[in-house]
Amino acid sequence: MPRLARSEWYDLTRDMNWDLSYVTEEEAFPELLSKSFGVAMQDWWTWDEPYKITYADYVHNQAGKDAGLFSVNNVVGRSKIFENLDPGWMAAVLAHYGAIAVGEYQAGIGEARMARFGRAAAWRNMATYGALDETRHGQLQTYFPYQALDKEPRLDWAHKAYHTNEWGMIAARHLFDDMFTANDAVSMAIQLTFTFETGFTNLQFLGMAADAMKVGDIDFGALISSIQTDEARHAQQGEPTLKILVNAGKKDVAQNLLDRMFWRAWKVFALLTGLSMDYYTPLEHRTHSFKEFMDEFINTQFLNQVKDLGLDAPWYWDQLTNEMNWVHHAYHLGVYFWRPTVWWNPVAGTTPQERAWLEEKYPGWNDSFGKYWDVMGANVRDGHPELTLPETFPVVCNSCQIPLCTPAGYVAGFLSSPEPLMLDLEGRRYTFCSEPCKWVFEQDPGQFKGHLSIIDRFLGGVIQPPTIPGALEYMGLSPEEMGQDGTNYAWAHATAPVAGTV
Amino acid sequence: MALFPVQGIIEGDFVVVLVPVDDTDPMTVVAEKIAYHGIGKRVAAQDRPLKVRYRGTLLDDDATIAGTGCAPMDVLEVVHG
Repeated sequence: MPRLARSEWYDLTRDMNWDLSYVTEEEAFPELLSKSFGVAMQDWWTWDEPYKITYADYVHNQAGKDAGLFSVNNVVGRSKIFENLDPGWMAAVLAHYGAIAVGEYQAGIGEARMARFGRAAAWRNMATYGALDETRHGQLQTYFPYQALDKEPRLDWAHKAYHTNEWGMIAARHLFDDMFTANDAVSMAIQLTFTFETGFTNLQFLGMAADAMKVGDIDFGALISSIQTDEARHAQQGEPTLKILVNAGKKDVAQNLLDRMFWRAWKVFALLTGLSMDYYTPLEHRTHSFKEFMDEFINTQFLNQVKDLGLDAPWYWDQLTNEMNWVHHAYHLGVYFWRPTVWWNPVAGTTPQERAWLEEKYPGWNDSFGKYWDVMGANVRDGHPELTLPETFPVVCNSCQIPLCTPAGYVAGFLSSPEPLMLDLEGRRYTFCSEPCKWVFEQDPGQFKGHLSIIDRFLGGVIQPPTIPGALEYMGLSPEEMGQDGTNYAWAHATAPVAGTV
Repeated sequence: MALFPVQGIIEGDFVVVLVPVDDTDPMTVVAEKIAYHGIGKRVAAQDRPLKVRYRGTLLDDDATIAGTGCAPMDVLEVVHG
Protein backbone atom coordinates (compact mmCIF):
# COMPACT_ATOMS: atom_id res chain seq x y z
CA MET A 1 0.00 0.00 0.00
CA PRO A 2 1.59 3.27 -1.07
CA ARG A 3 2.24 5.73 1.72
CA LEU A 4 1.54 9.35 0.86
CA ALA A 5 3.17 12.20 2.70
CA ARG A 6 0.75 13.70 5.21
CA SER A 7 0.69 17.01 3.37
CA GLU A 8 -0.68 15.22 0.30
CA TRP A 9 -3.87 13.98 1.99
CA TYR A 10 -4.36 15.97 5.18
CA ASP A 11 -6.40 18.85 3.78
CA LEU A 12 -8.68 16.53 1.81
CA THR A 13 -9.47 14.22 4.72
CA ARG A 14 -10.04 16.88 7.36
CA ASP A 15 -12.19 19.19 5.23
CA MET A 16 -15.37 17.16 4.86
CA ASN A 17 -17.63 20.20 4.51
CA TRP A 18 -20.67 20.05 2.27
CA ASP A 19 -23.85 21.98 1.53
CA LEU A 20 -26.77 20.77 3.60
CA SER A 21 -29.87 19.60 1.73
CA TYR A 22 -31.80 17.23 4.02
CA VAL A 23 -31.79 19.64 6.97
CA THR A 24 -31.53 23.38 7.39
CA GLU A 25 -28.45 25.08 8.77
CA GLU A 26 -30.39 25.98 11.92
CA GLU A 27 -31.33 22.32 12.42
CA ALA A 28 -27.75 21.13 12.00
CA PHE A 29 -26.14 24.00 13.89
CA PRO A 30 -28.73 25.51 16.25
CA GLU A 31 -27.85 29.05 17.30
CA LEU A 32 -28.24 28.04 20.93
CA LEU A 33 -25.34 25.63 20.61
CA SER A 34 -23.35 27.32 17.85
CA LYS A 35 -23.88 31.03 17.34
CA SER A 36 -23.10 32.07 13.75
CA PHE A 37 -23.04 35.78 14.62
CA GLY A 38 -24.34 36.30 11.08
CA VAL A 39 -21.27 34.80 9.37
CA ALA A 40 -22.19 32.63 6.34
CA MET A 41 -21.54 28.90 6.55
CA GLN A 42 -19.10 28.89 3.64
CA ASP A 43 -17.04 31.58 5.35
CA TRP A 44 -16.59 29.31 8.37
CA TRP A 45 -15.13 26.70 6.03
CA THR A 46 -11.98 28.81 5.68
CA TRP A 47 -11.18 27.84 9.30
CA ASP A 48 -7.55 26.70 9.32
CA GLU A 49 -5.73 25.44 12.40
CA PRO A 50 -2.10 26.49 12.82
CA TYR A 51 -1.05 23.14 14.31
CA LYS A 52 -1.95 20.08 12.26
CA ILE A 53 -2.05 16.50 13.46
CA THR A 54 -3.56 13.24 12.24
CA TYR A 55 -5.46 10.81 14.43
CA ALA A 56 -2.69 8.21 14.05
CA ASP A 57 -0.09 10.76 15.16
CA TYR A 58 -2.32 11.86 18.01
CA VAL A 59 -2.74 8.36 19.40
CA HIS A 60 0.96 7.64 19.03
CA ASN A 61 1.93 10.84 20.83
CA GLN A 62 -0.58 10.45 23.64
CA ALA A 63 0.39 6.83 24.28
CA GLY A 64 4.02 7.92 24.58
CA LYS A 65 3.13 10.69 26.98
CA ASP A 66 1.11 8.38 29.21
CA ALA A 67 3.83 5.72 29.23
CA GLY A 68 6.36 8.25 30.49
CA LEU A 69 3.98 9.82 32.97
CA PHE A 70 2.79 6.61 34.58
CA SER A 71 6.40 5.42 34.91
CA VAL A 72 7.18 8.52 36.97
CA ASN A 73 3.99 8.08 39.01
CA ASN A 74 4.84 4.46 39.72
CA VAL A 75 8.33 5.25 40.95
CA VAL A 76 7.32 8.30 42.99
CA GLY A 77 4.48 6.33 44.60
CA ARG A 78 7.05 4.03 46.18
CA SER A 79 9.23 6.87 47.44
CA LYS A 80 8.97 9.34 50.33
CA ILE A 81 8.90 12.35 48.00
CA PHE A 82 5.28 13.21 48.76
CA GLU A 83 5.71 13.06 52.55
CA ASN A 84 8.65 15.46 52.37
CA LEU A 85 7.00 18.16 50.30
CA ASP A 86 7.03 21.70 51.67
CA PRO A 87 3.70 22.53 53.42
CA GLY A 88 3.21 25.57 51.20
CA TRP A 89 3.65 23.52 48.06
CA MET A 90 1.27 20.90 49.48
CA ALA A 91 -1.33 23.66 49.90
CA ALA A 92 -0.85 24.68 46.26
CA VAL A 93 -1.20 21.09 45.04
CA LEU A 94 -4.35 20.37 47.08
CA ALA A 95 -5.94 23.62 45.94
CA HIS A 96 -5.03 22.86 42.32
CA TYR A 97 -6.47 19.35 42.25
CA GLY A 98 -9.77 20.39 43.80
CA ALA A 99 -10.24 23.44 41.62
CA ILE A 100 -9.12 21.88 38.34
CA ALA A 101 -9.56 18.09 38.06
CA VAL A 102 -13.32 17.78 37.50
CA GLY A 103 -13.27 21.10 35.65
CA GLU A 104 -11.18 19.28 33.06
CA TYR A 105 -14.03 16.83 32.54
CA GLN A 106 -16.33 19.79 32.09
CA ALA A 107 -13.92 21.23 29.54
CA GLY A 108 -14.23 17.87 27.77
CA ILE A 109 -17.97 18.52 27.47
CA GLY A 110 -17.13 21.90 25.95
CA GLU A 111 -14.66 20.42 23.48
CA ALA A 112 -17.20 17.74 22.54
CA ARG A 113 -19.72 20.52 21.85
CA MET A 114 -17.23 22.13 19.48
CA ALA A 115 -16.49 18.70 17.97
CA ARG A 116 -20.17 18.47 17.00
CA PHE A 117 -21.25 22.08 16.58
CA GLY A 118 -18.05 23.75 15.38
CA ARG A 119 -18.92 25.39 12.07
CA ALA A 120 -16.11 23.83 10.00
CA ALA A 121 -14.97 20.23 9.59
CA ALA A 122 -11.33 21.12 10.28
CA TRP A 123 -12.39 22.71 13.55
CA ARG A 124 -14.54 19.72 14.52
CA ASN A 125 -11.52 17.52 13.83
CA MET A 126 -9.32 19.56 16.18
CA ALA A 127 -12.02 19.71 18.84
CA THR A 128 -12.30 15.92 18.79
CA TYR A 129 -8.68 15.76 19.90
CA GLY A 130 -9.47 18.46 22.43
CA ALA A 131 -12.30 16.37 23.91
CA LEU A 132 -9.93 13.41 24.21
CA ASP A 133 -7.30 15.70 25.76
CA GLU A 134 -9.61 17.06 28.42
CA THR A 135 -10.95 13.62 29.27
CA ARG A 136 -7.34 12.54 29.73
CA HIS A 137 -6.63 15.54 31.97
CA GLY A 138 -9.66 14.84 34.11
CA GLN A 139 -8.66 11.21 34.50
CA LEU A 140 -5.01 11.96 35.25
CA GLN A 141 -5.78 14.65 37.79
CA THR A 142 -8.18 12.40 39.68
CA TYR A 143 -6.01 9.28 39.40
CA PHE A 144 -2.75 10.86 40.61
CA PRO A 145 -4.24 12.25 43.83
CA TYR A 146 -6.19 8.99 44.29
CA GLN A 147 -2.84 7.17 44.35
CA ALA A 148 -1.72 9.27 47.32
CA LEU A 149 -4.92 9.16 49.40
CA ASP A 150 -3.21 7.10 52.09
CA LYS A 151 -0.75 9.96 52.56
CA GLU A 152 -3.24 12.88 52.44
CA PRO A 153 -6.95 11.92 52.63
CA ARG A 154 -8.03 15.41 51.50
CA LEU A 155 -6.66 14.62 48.06
CA ASP A 156 -10.16 13.16 47.54
CA TRP A 157 -11.22 16.78 47.02
CA ALA A 158 -9.81 16.33 43.51
CA HIS A 159 -13.09 14.55 42.88
CA LYS A 160 -15.22 15.85 45.73
CA ALA A 161 -14.73 19.61 45.41
CA TYR A 162 -16.91 20.13 42.33
CA HIS A 163 -19.75 18.28 43.98
CA THR A 164 -19.82 20.57 47.03
CA ASN A 165 -21.03 24.07 47.75
CA GLU A 166 -17.65 25.15 49.08
CA TRP A 167 -17.45 28.88 48.26
CA GLY A 168 -14.38 28.67 46.00
CA MET A 169 -15.99 25.87 44.04
CA ILE A 170 -19.15 27.93 43.61
CA ALA A 171 -16.85 30.58 42.10
CA ALA A 172 -15.14 28.01 39.85
CA ARG A 173 -18.43 26.48 38.67
CA HIS A 174 -19.93 29.92 38.04
CA LEU A 175 -16.96 30.74 35.81
CA PHE A 176 -16.62 27.43 34.01
CA ASP A 177 -20.36 27.01 33.39
CA ASP A 178 -20.31 30.43 31.73
CA MET A 179 -17.12 29.64 29.81
CA PHE A 180 -17.92 26.17 28.50
CA THR A 181 -20.59 23.99 30.12
CA ALA A 182 -23.37 26.43 29.21
CA ASN A 183 -21.65 28.12 26.27
CA ASP A 184 -22.10 27.77 22.50
CA ALA A 185 -19.33 26.41 20.28
CA VAL A 186 -18.27 29.67 18.63
CA SER A 187 -18.22 31.75 21.81
CA MET A 188 -16.40 28.93 23.53
CA ALA A 189 -13.61 28.90 20.97
CA ILE A 190 -12.96 32.56 21.80
CA GLN A 191 -13.58 32.34 25.53
CA LEU A 192 -12.19 28.93 26.51
CA THR A 193 -9.45 28.17 24.01
CA PHE A 194 -8.23 31.68 23.17
CA THR A 195 -8.96 33.79 26.26
CA PHE A 196 -8.54 31.24 29.04
CA GLU A 197 -6.18 28.63 27.66
CA THR A 198 -3.96 30.74 25.43
CA GLY A 199 -4.10 33.72 27.76
CA PHE A 200 -3.81 32.06 31.13
CA THR A 201 -3.57 28.31 31.67
CA ASN A 202 -1.13 27.36 28.95
CA LEU A 203 1.50 29.69 30.37
CA GLN A 204 0.54 28.97 33.95
CA PHE A 205 0.98 25.23 33.45
CA LEU A 206 4.45 25.82 31.98
CA GLY A 207 5.46 27.84 35.04
CA MET A 208 3.85 25.48 37.52
CA ALA A 209 5.55 22.44 35.99
CA ALA A 210 8.93 24.17 36.30
CA ASP A 211 8.20 25.17 39.91
CA ALA A 212 7.13 21.62 40.77
CA MET A 213 10.43 20.23 39.51
CA LYS A 214 12.36 22.80 41.54
CA VAL A 215 10.60 21.92 44.79
CA GLY A 216 11.15 18.21 44.10
CA ASP A 217 7.56 17.30 43.23
CA ILE A 218 8.55 15.23 40.21
CA ASP A 219 5.15 13.53 40.00
CA PHE A 220 3.16 16.75 39.79
CA GLY A 221 5.74 18.39 37.53
CA ALA A 222 5.58 15.54 35.03
CA LEU A 223 1.77 15.56 35.17
CA ILE A 224 1.39 19.26 34.58
CA SER A 225 4.04 19.29 31.88
CA SER A 226 2.29 16.47 30.03
CA ILE A 227 -1.06 18.24 30.24
CA GLN A 228 0.46 21.48 29.00
CA THR A 229 1.58 19.86 25.75
CA ASP A 230 -2.07 19.01 25.01
CA GLU A 231 -3.24 22.49 26.00
CA ALA A 232 -0.74 24.14 23.68
CA ARG A 233 -2.28 22.24 20.76
CA HIS A 234 -6.01 22.48 21.37
CA ALA A 235 -5.82 26.08 22.62
CA GLN A 236 -5.13 27.01 19.00
CA GLN A 237 -8.79 26.60 18.05
CA GLY A 238 -9.43 30.12 19.22
CA GLU A 239 -7.23 32.02 16.81
CA PRO A 240 -8.76 30.81 13.50
CA THR A 241 -12.27 31.27 14.93
CA LEU A 242 -11.38 34.80 15.95
CA LYS A 243 -9.90 35.58 12.53
CA ILE A 244 -13.11 34.53 10.79
CA LEU A 245 -15.20 36.81 12.99
CA VAL A 246 -12.85 39.76 12.50
CA ASN A 247 -12.60 39.22 8.73
CA ALA A 248 -16.40 39.11 8.53
CA GLY A 249 -16.60 42.53 10.16
CA LYS A 250 -17.58 41.14 13.56
CA LYS A 251 -14.71 42.59 15.54
CA ASP A 252 -17.15 44.03 18.10
CA VAL A 253 -18.53 40.53 18.75
CA ALA A 254 -15.08 39.02 19.21
CA GLN A 255 -13.95 41.92 21.38
CA ASN A 256 -16.98 41.58 23.65
CA LEU A 257 -16.48 37.83 24.05
CA LEU A 258 -12.82 38.38 24.90
CA ASP A 259 -13.45 41.25 27.31
CA ARG A 260 -16.14 39.41 29.23
CA MET A 261 -14.17 36.23 29.75
CA PHE A 262 -10.72 37.75 30.23
CA TRP A 263 -11.86 39.60 33.34
CA ARG A 264 -13.70 36.59 34.70
CA ALA A 265 -10.66 34.36 34.16
CA TRP A 266 -8.39 36.96 35.77
CA LYS A 267 -10.33 36.89 39.04
CA VAL A 268 -10.09 33.13 39.53
CA PHE A 269 -6.51 33.12 38.22
CA ALA A 270 -5.54 35.71 40.85
CA LEU A 271 -7.20 33.60 43.54
CA LEU A 272 -5.54 30.33 42.60
CA THR A 273 -2.24 31.26 40.98
CA GLY A 274 -1.61 34.51 42.82
CA LEU A 275 -1.56 32.71 46.16
CA SER A 276 0.43 29.81 44.80
CA MET A 277 3.19 31.95 43.28
CA ASP A 278 3.62 34.63 45.95
CA TYR A 279 2.84 32.75 49.16
CA TYR A 280 2.72 28.95 48.76
CA THR A 281 5.78 28.27 46.59
CA PRO A 282 8.82 28.01 48.92
CA LEU A 283 10.79 31.25 48.85
CA GLU A 284 14.01 29.67 47.61
CA HIS A 285 12.23 28.25 44.57
CA ARG A 286 10.40 31.36 43.40
CA THR A 287 11.53 32.75 40.08
CA HIS A 288 8.86 35.32 39.24
CA SER A 289 6.46 37.19 41.44
CA PHE A 290 2.85 36.86 40.32
CA LYS A 291 2.92 40.44 39.11
CA GLU A 292 6.10 39.87 37.11
CA PHE A 293 4.51 36.79 35.57
CA MET A 294 1.42 38.76 34.62
CA ASP A 295 3.51 41.60 33.21
CA GLU A 296 5.64 39.36 31.03
CA PHE A 297 3.31 36.66 29.83
CA ILE A 298 -0.17 38.17 29.93
CA ASN A 299 0.25 41.92 29.69
CA THR A 300 2.98 41.77 27.09
CA GLN A 301 2.90 38.49 25.16
CA PHE A 302 -0.83 37.78 25.21
CA LEU A 303 -1.76 41.41 24.69
CA ASN A 304 0.53 41.54 21.64
CA GLN A 305 -1.23 38.47 20.29
CA VAL A 306 -4.62 40.12 20.85
CA LYS A 307 -3.48 43.20 18.93
CA ASP A 308 -1.92 41.14 16.14
CA LEU A 309 -5.33 39.56 15.59
CA GLY A 310 -6.93 42.97 15.11
CA LEU A 311 -8.49 43.34 18.55
CA ASP A 312 -7.82 45.91 21.26
CA ALA A 313 -6.85 45.57 24.88
CA PRO A 314 -10.01 45.11 26.97
CA TRP A 315 -11.52 48.44 28.02
CA TYR A 316 -10.67 47.82 31.68
CA TRP A 317 -6.94 47.25 31.09
CA ASP A 318 -5.93 50.01 33.53
CA GLN A 319 -8.09 48.41 36.21
CA LEU A 320 -6.50 45.03 35.53
CA THR A 321 -2.94 46.34 35.87
CA ASN A 322 -4.07 48.19 39.00
CA GLU A 323 -5.46 45.01 40.60
CA MET A 324 -2.26 43.11 39.84
CA ASN A 325 -0.61 45.15 42.60
CA TRP A 326 -2.93 44.23 45.41
CA VAL A 327 -5.90 41.95 44.82
CA HIS A 328 -4.18 38.58 45.31
CA HIS A 329 -2.57 39.81 48.53
CA ALA A 330 -6.07 40.51 49.80
CA TYR A 331 -7.33 37.13 48.58
CA HIS A 332 -4.47 35.43 50.41
CA LEU A 333 -5.36 37.21 53.64
CA GLY A 334 -8.96 36.16 53.19
CA VAL A 335 -8.18 32.52 52.45
CA TYR A 336 -5.83 32.40 55.44
CA PHE A 337 -8.26 34.06 57.87
CA TRP A 338 -11.22 32.00 56.62
CA ARG A 339 -9.07 28.85 56.34
CA PRO A 340 -11.77 26.53 57.82
CA THR A 341 -13.68 27.17 54.57
CA VAL A 342 -11.03 25.61 52.31
CA TRP A 343 -9.84 22.01 51.98
CA TRP A 344 -6.12 22.70 52.16
CA ASN A 345 -3.89 24.07 54.93
CA PRO A 346 -2.96 27.62 53.91
CA VAL A 347 0.50 28.74 54.92
CA ALA A 348 0.86 32.38 55.92
CA GLY A 349 4.03 32.85 53.87
CA THR A 350 4.95 35.86 55.97
CA THR A 351 8.17 35.03 57.80
CA PRO A 352 10.56 38.00 57.97
CA GLN A 353 12.43 36.66 54.93
CA GLU A 354 9.22 36.19 52.96
CA ARG A 355 8.03 39.65 53.94
CA ALA A 356 11.31 41.11 52.70
CA TRP A 357 10.73 39.38 49.34
CA LEU A 358 7.14 40.68 49.17
CA GLU A 359 8.32 44.21 49.96
CA GLU A 360 10.94 43.98 47.22
CA LYS A 361 8.45 42.71 44.64
CA TYR A 362 5.57 44.93 45.78
CA PRO A 363 7.04 48.12 47.25
CA GLY A 364 4.82 49.29 50.10
CA TRP A 365 3.57 45.77 50.93
CA ASN A 366 4.60 46.04 54.58
CA ASP A 367 2.66 49.27 55.05
CA SER A 368 -0.44 48.12 53.23
CA PHE A 369 -0.64 44.37 53.89
CA GLY A 370 2.08 43.61 56.44
CA LYS A 371 0.17 45.45 59.14
CA TYR A 372 -2.65 42.87 59.10
CA TRP A 373 -0.11 40.11 59.59
CA ASP A 374 1.48 42.15 62.42
CA VAL A 375 -1.83 42.09 64.33
CA MET A 376 -2.44 38.41 63.62
CA GLY A 377 1.13 37.45 64.54
CA ALA A 378 0.88 39.35 67.83
CA ASN A 379 -2.35 37.51 68.66
CA VAL A 380 -0.66 34.16 68.04
CA ARG A 381 2.35 35.08 70.18
CA ASP A 382 0.01 36.28 72.94
CA GLY A 383 -1.59 32.87 73.04
CA HIS A 384 -4.77 33.80 71.17
CA PRO A 385 -4.69 32.00 67.83
CA GLU A 386 -8.50 31.90 67.96
CA LEU A 387 -8.42 35.62 67.10
CA THR A 388 -7.00 34.66 63.70
CA LEU A 389 -10.18 32.73 62.92
CA PRO A 390 -13.52 34.04 61.61
CA GLU A 391 -16.85 34.51 63.37
CA THR A 392 -18.73 35.79 60.34
CA PHE A 393 -18.38 35.63 56.57
CA PRO A 394 -17.07 38.07 54.02
CA VAL A 395 -19.63 39.33 51.52
CA VAL A 396 -18.93 37.94 48.05
CA CYS A 397 -19.25 39.48 44.59
CA ASN A 398 -22.37 38.48 42.64
CA SER A 399 -20.27 38.16 39.50
CA CYS A 400 -16.95 36.47 40.36
CA GLN A 401 -18.29 35.00 43.66
CA ILE A 402 -15.04 35.92 45.42
CA PRO A 403 -15.05 37.96 48.67
CA LEU A 404 -15.24 41.72 48.28
CA CYS A 405 -11.76 43.08 48.97
CA THR A 406 -12.31 46.65 47.81
CA PRO A 407 -11.23 48.00 51.24
CA ALA A 408 -7.76 46.49 50.68
CA GLY A 409 -7.42 48.28 47.35
CA TYR A 410 -8.43 51.51 49.04
CA VAL A 411 -6.02 51.08 51.95
CA ALA A 412 -3.17 50.24 49.55
CA GLY A 413 -3.88 53.42 47.57
CA PHE A 414 -5.18 51.80 44.39
CA LEU A 415 -8.91 52.54 44.72
CA SER A 416 -10.67 55.81 45.46
CA SER A 417 -13.28 54.21 47.74
CA PRO A 418 -13.41 51.10 49.95
CA GLU A 419 -17.06 50.49 49.04
CA PRO A 420 -18.23 47.79 46.63
CA LEU A 421 -20.55 48.56 43.71
CA MET A 422 -24.27 47.81 43.91
CA LEU A 423 -27.09 47.08 41.51
CA ASP A 424 -30.75 46.85 42.50
CA LEU A 425 -32.59 44.80 39.89
CA GLU A 426 -36.16 43.53 40.01
CA GLY A 427 -36.31 43.83 43.78
CA ARG A 428 -33.02 42.13 44.45
CA ARG A 429 -29.71 43.67 45.48
CA TYR A 430 -26.50 42.58 43.77
CA THR A 431 -23.04 43.58 45.00
CA PHE A 432 -19.85 43.68 42.92
CA CYS A 433 -16.16 43.86 43.69
CA SER A 434 -15.23 45.94 40.66
CA GLU A 435 -16.55 47.88 37.70
CA PRO A 436 -15.67 45.08 35.22
CA CYS A 437 -17.46 42.46 37.36
CA LYS A 438 -20.58 44.65 37.37
CA TRP A 439 -20.17 45.18 33.61
CA VAL A 440 -19.94 41.43 32.99
CA PHE A 441 -23.21 40.93 34.89
CA GLU A 442 -24.92 43.74 33.00
CA GLN A 443 -23.90 42.29 29.63
CA ASP A 444 -26.38 39.45 30.18
CA PRO A 445 -28.44 39.86 33.37
CA GLY A 446 -30.72 37.02 32.35
CA GLN A 447 -27.77 34.65 32.48
CA PHE A 448 -26.71 35.64 35.99
CA LYS A 449 -29.57 37.22 37.94
CA GLY A 450 -31.05 33.97 39.24
CA HIS A 451 -27.81 32.70 40.74
CA LEU A 452 -27.52 32.78 44.53
CA SER A 453 -24.09 33.53 45.98
CA ILE A 454 -23.03 31.74 49.14
CA ILE A 455 -24.08 34.86 51.09
CA ASP A 456 -27.47 35.03 49.32
CA ARG A 457 -27.99 31.40 50.37
CA PHE A 458 -26.96 32.20 53.93
CA LEU A 459 -29.37 35.11 54.19
CA GLY A 460 -32.13 33.39 52.24
CA GLY A 461 -32.43 30.43 54.57
CA VAL A 462 -30.91 27.89 52.18
CA ILE A 463 -28.10 27.23 54.67
CA GLN A 464 -29.42 25.73 57.91
CA PRO A 465 -28.68 26.43 60.63
CA PRO A 466 -27.52 29.92 59.55
CA THR A 467 -24.38 29.75 61.62
CA ILE A 468 -20.68 29.29 60.90
CA PRO A 469 -20.83 25.54 61.67
CA GLY A 470 -24.00 25.25 59.58
CA ALA A 471 -22.34 26.98 56.65
CA LEU A 472 -19.21 24.84 56.90
CA GLU A 473 -21.35 21.73 56.83
CA TYR A 474 -23.23 23.14 53.83
CA MET A 475 -19.86 23.57 52.11
CA GLY A 476 -19.11 19.87 52.64
CA LEU A 477 -16.32 20.47 55.14
CA SER A 478 -16.02 18.14 58.12
CA PRO A 479 -13.71 19.23 60.97
CA GLU A 480 -11.01 16.89 59.66
CA GLU A 481 -11.17 18.48 56.21
CA MET A 482 -11.18 22.14 57.21
CA GLY A 483 -8.01 24.07 56.55
CA GLN A 484 -5.63 24.82 59.40
CA ASP A 485 -2.49 26.90 59.57
CA GLY A 486 -0.07 25.04 57.30
CA THR A 487 2.98 25.51 59.54
CA ASN A 488 1.25 25.48 62.94
CA TYR A 489 1.92 29.24 63.25
CA ALA A 490 5.69 28.94 62.82
CA TRP A 491 5.58 32.15 60.75
CA ALA A 492 4.41 34.16 63.75
CA HIS A 493 7.40 33.07 65.82
CA ALA A 494 10.04 33.25 63.09
CA THR A 495 12.75 35.82 63.57
CA ALA A 496 14.76 37.66 60.97
CA PRO A 497 18.35 36.46 60.51
CA VAL A 498 20.97 38.59 62.22
CA ALA A 499 22.65 40.86 59.70
CA GLY A 500 25.86 39.36 58.33
CA THR A 501 25.01 35.75 59.20
CA VAL A 502 23.41 34.86 55.88
CA MET B 1 -36.70 44.41 66.93
CA ALA B 2 -35.57 42.61 63.84
CA LEU B 3 -32.30 41.22 62.60
CA PHE B 4 -30.91 43.39 59.87
CA PRO B 5 -27.92 42.28 57.75
CA VAL B 6 -25.47 44.95 56.64
CA GLN B 7 -22.20 45.01 54.72
CA GLY B 8 -19.63 46.22 57.23
CA ILE B 9 -16.33 47.90 56.42
CA ILE B 10 -13.87 48.60 59.22
CA GLU B 11 -11.55 51.54 58.56
CA GLY B 12 -8.16 50.14 57.57
CA ASP B 13 -9.44 46.57 57.04
CA PHE B 14 -9.13 44.61 53.79
CA VAL B 15 -12.55 43.02 53.31
CA VAL B 16 -16.30 43.65 53.48
CA VAL B 17 -17.90 41.54 56.22
CA LEU B 18 -21.47 40.37 56.69
CA VAL B 19 -22.78 41.62 60.03
CA PRO B 20 -26.26 41.04 61.46
CA VAL B 21 -27.34 44.04 63.53
CA ASP B 22 -30.70 44.91 65.03
CA ASP B 23 -32.82 47.65 63.50
CA THR B 24 -33.23 49.25 66.94
CA ASP B 25 -29.50 49.25 67.70
CA PRO B 26 -28.02 52.72 68.25
CA MET B 27 -24.94 53.44 66.16
CA THR B 28 -22.63 52.92 69.12
CA VAL B 29 -23.80 49.30 69.23
CA VAL B 30 -23.76 48.92 65.44
CA ALA B 31 -20.16 50.16 65.42
CA GLU B 32 -19.17 47.64 68.08
CA LYS B 33 -20.88 44.76 66.27
CA ILE B 34 -19.08 45.51 63.02
CA ALA B 35 -15.73 46.33 64.65
CA TYR B 36 -15.83 43.03 66.56
CA HIS B 37 -15.01 41.17 63.34
CA GLY B 38 -11.83 43.08 62.55
CA ILE B 39 -10.43 45.34 65.22
CA GLY B 40 -7.91 43.49 67.34
CA LYS B 41 -7.99 40.66 64.81
CA ARG B 42 -6.61 42.21 61.63
CA VAL B 43 -6.74 45.92 62.39
CA ALA B 44 -4.86 47.38 65.35
CA ALA B 45 -7.09 48.86 68.04
CA GLN B 46 -6.95 52.61 68.59
CA ASP B 47 -7.83 54.63 71.67
CA ARG B 48 -10.47 56.63 69.84
CA PRO B 49 -14.26 56.25 69.75
CA LEU B 50 -15.89 54.42 66.86
CA LYS B 51 -18.36 56.13 64.56
CA VAL B 52 -20.55 54.82 61.75
CA ARG B 53 -20.45 56.39 58.29
CA TYR B 54 -23.33 55.82 55.88
CA ARG B 55 -23.27 57.18 52.33
CA GLY B 56 -20.45 59.56 53.25
CA THR B 57 -22.13 60.98 56.35
CA LEU B 58 -21.17 60.26 59.95
CA LEU B 59 -24.28 59.17 61.87
CA ASP B 60 -25.16 60.35 65.36
CA ASP B 61 -24.31 57.88 68.09
CA ASP B 62 -27.93 57.58 69.17
CA ALA B 63 -29.36 57.18 65.66
CA THR B 64 -30.83 53.76 64.90
CA ILE B 65 -30.78 51.69 61.75
CA ALA B 66 -34.54 52.13 61.40
CA GLY B 67 -34.19 55.89 61.70
CA THR B 68 -31.47 56.29 59.09
CA GLY B 69 -33.31 54.84 56.10
CA CYS B 70 -30.63 52.19 55.76
CA ALA B 71 -31.73 49.20 53.64
CA PRO B 72 -30.69 45.58 54.20
CA MET B 73 -27.19 44.92 52.83
CA ASP B 74 -26.36 48.60 52.61
CA VAL B 75 -22.73 49.41 53.38
CA LEU B 76 -21.91 50.82 56.81
CA GLU B 77 -18.35 51.92 57.46
CA VAL B 78 -16.91 51.99 60.96
CA VAL B 79 -14.30 54.70 61.40
CA HIS B 80 -12.37 56.13 64.31
CA GLY B 81 -13.85 59.44 65.39
